[in-house]
Amino acid sequence: MFVRRYLIPRLLQYFLVIFLGITIVFFIPRFAPTNPVQRTIAELRSRGTYLNPADVEKMVEDLTRLYGLEGSWFEQYIDFWKRLFSGDFGISFFQFPVPVIDLIKNALPWTVGLLFVTTVLSWIIGNIIGGIAGYYNNKRWSRIMDGIVMFIRPIPYYIFALGLLILLAYVYRLFPIAGGHSLGRKPSFTISYILDVLRHAFLPALSLVILGAASWFQTSKLIVQNVNAEDFVQYAQLGGIKERKIMFKYVIRNAMLPQVTNLALSLGQILSGALITEIVFSYPGLGNLLFSAITTGDYNLIMGITALSILAITSLVLIIDLLYPLFDPRIKYK
Amino acid sequence: MENNASYVLKTRNLKAYYILDDLGKKKTVKAVDDVNLEIRKNEIYGIAGESGCGKTTLMKTLYALLKPPLRLIDGKVLYYRDGEEMDIYALDNEERRKLRWEYIAYIPQGAMSIFNPVLKIKETYRDFLDSHLSGKTRDEIFEIAREHIRQLGLPLKVLDSYPHQLSGGMRQRVAIALAALLKPAVIFADEPTTALDVVVQRGVVQLLNEIQDGLENTIILVTHDMGIHANITDRLAIMYAGKIIEEGNTDEIFDNPLHPYTKYLINSLPRFGDRGSRVSAPGNPPSLANLPGGCSFHPRCPHKMDICEKKIPELNDQGNGHKAACWLLNGGEGKDEGTS
Ligand SMILES: Nc1ncnc2c1ncn2[C@@H]1O[C@H](COP(=O)(O)OP(=O)(O)OP(=O)(O)O)[C@@H](O)[C@H]1O
Ligand SMILES: [Mg+2]
Repeated sequence: MFVRRYLIPRLLQYFLVIFLGITIVFFIPRFAPTNPVQRTIAELRSRGTYLNPADVEKMVEDLTRLYGLEGSWFEQYIDFWKRLFSGDFGISFFQFPVPVIDLIKNALPWTVGLLFVTTVLSWIIGNIIGGIAGYYNNKRWSRIMDGIVMFIRPIPYYIFALGLLILLAYVYRLFPIAGGHSLGRKPSFTISYILDVLRHAFLPALSLVILGAASWFQTSKLIVQNVNAEDFVQYAQLGGIKERKIMFKYVIRNAMLPQVTNLALSLGQILSGALITEIVFSYPGLGNLLFSAITTGDYNLIMGITALSILAITSLVLIIDLLYPLFDPRIKYK
Repeated sequence: MENNASYVLKTRNLKAYYILDDLGKKKTVKAVDDVNLEIRKNEIYGIAGESGCGKTTLMKTLYALLKPPLRLIDGKVLYYRDGEEMDIYALDNEERRKLRWEYIAYIPQGAMSIFNPVLKIKETYRDFLDSHLSGKTRDEIFEIAREHIRQLGLPLKVLDSYPHQLSGGMRQRVAIALAALLKPAVIFADEPTTALDVVVQRGVVQLLNEIQDGLENTIILVTHDMGIHANITDRLAIMYAGKIIEEGNTDEIFDNPLHPYTKYLINSLPRFGDRGSRVSAPGNPPSLANLPGGCSFHPRCPHKMDICEKKIPELNDQGNGHKAACWLLNGGEGKDEGTS
């Protein structure tokens, strides 16, 4: 019953969304005015490499094949899917001839490590503080928190991040200025290496957690204030139920429901990287990779990263849809 | 004169207003205005009146659960427990929390949405019990809940249901059952039958009656349905625009209503055969934010006299504890015109 009526249609929808998303990812760069083959050759020339016309012709042919640009769009498209299923996103144009998948593999752990931790952390901090502040909306400290958050929230992220960087890495040299680990260090499972990574991650993480938590704080506070006015909360008060119980089991518990969905969506966005964070802190993650891919017109790499994001977001939405009835008994699989 | 031992709740000149800020102008909604009640042990005390006259506000004020913009302006709410007088507004928060459900319990208006939607009913039971009884294990608590449900003749499976899985009538019954859980001395029941169909209404009224018989406590029953008042209340208060305008034994009021407004209320009762035609009071209820001077009922009253526009009539005993606030009765000024 559940499988036929809900699961199968939902899975079909899931695959359809991925298929359409990746198809769009395939076609969009092909409408762009730049020709990556000509671009690569121009790049070589601009570096002063002398190329004779015969070589150029040969090169165009090779590059076209390597880039997956042979034949009609339709043939390329079929080929693209074939390669995709074997985990092959083609070769990076910019860091020629490294396969896209290798670049992604190198950058992925940095981004996932940084963003997964900060996303979850800011969600927890923002929701708990926002929830309590929302419940005690009339108290002075709650208004003060409101004021602080209202001050922080509108600061553009890059200014905030640069400010932290200048203050804590340049003026006071407490943290390193750039990178994911110290130059020249080899990744290893030693305490000193892990500490080195944490030290490098601290500032980007701090900037993300502060602004992230501030944003969760505001939504959570607003939702809690609405839930607070619900009949079932008033009923619990009529019943002389203990205040802490009302706050957590009645108010915050119900206010969390929409926030669970929002958390899943935020987690899904991890794979497109934290573009600005990674640029400001020169962090070796997917965001930096995507940025260089865009500036160099490396569209195999763009496609690779985007396809991965699509996969991540749709999968997380699917998981949330399947799990949500566990959190909210009113929701049925329909 | 009866002594205090037979009373459970009294109020003195109780006033509770909604203080609103209407675009910078202060607006005062006088929802409870100078109310004096004396409610006895072991009785069903009815409160009747049109929608918006302040019934729910009065109940909340008696229960001391006021939230802005509602404010206690003046007066006292006194409970009598073990021979002692207790001013509920003088208690500290923890004492008041304990008083609730252990001594006074509440069935809110609109029981459709009063249960936490993500908790099974037994969890709600647990929260009520946990907050008032100490040293009980989870299993003992669920056993108390089961026993309680069984005693009141409700199906046991409601305990394992989520609120949205129960019908409106069942939710109302659970709300009533929960109110009786700790055997309180007073149960406030705010419109427990509204929005239910007639058959279900009868079951709900019966349940209330059974509980009162069993606990021999006091139920304060608010409903605008005069039929229900006629059926189960012992005494009855008629509320109009934030004031009690008539009070007495229910039978006495139905046999001999004194206030013109009460007469309209009783005449609006549907009789057998002609369900459709009800005669209600002409005109509309006044806005509590902008009451007419004198007796609030005068713009709608067929017996209006000059004094009615100028002075507010007092609630005076007309014999046998039957009280009414009307210039037709006071000081004989209007007696000639007759009131029946
Ligand atoms: N939160 C509020 N803010 C402002 N005015 C309110 C508020 N709640 C109620 N009122 C006003 O107070 C008056 C009394 O309301 P109350 O709910 O006590 O009436 P009621 O007799 O219980 O009516 P009903 O039969 O519809 O339940 C009404 O005029 C209403 O408009
Ligand atoms: Mg009401």
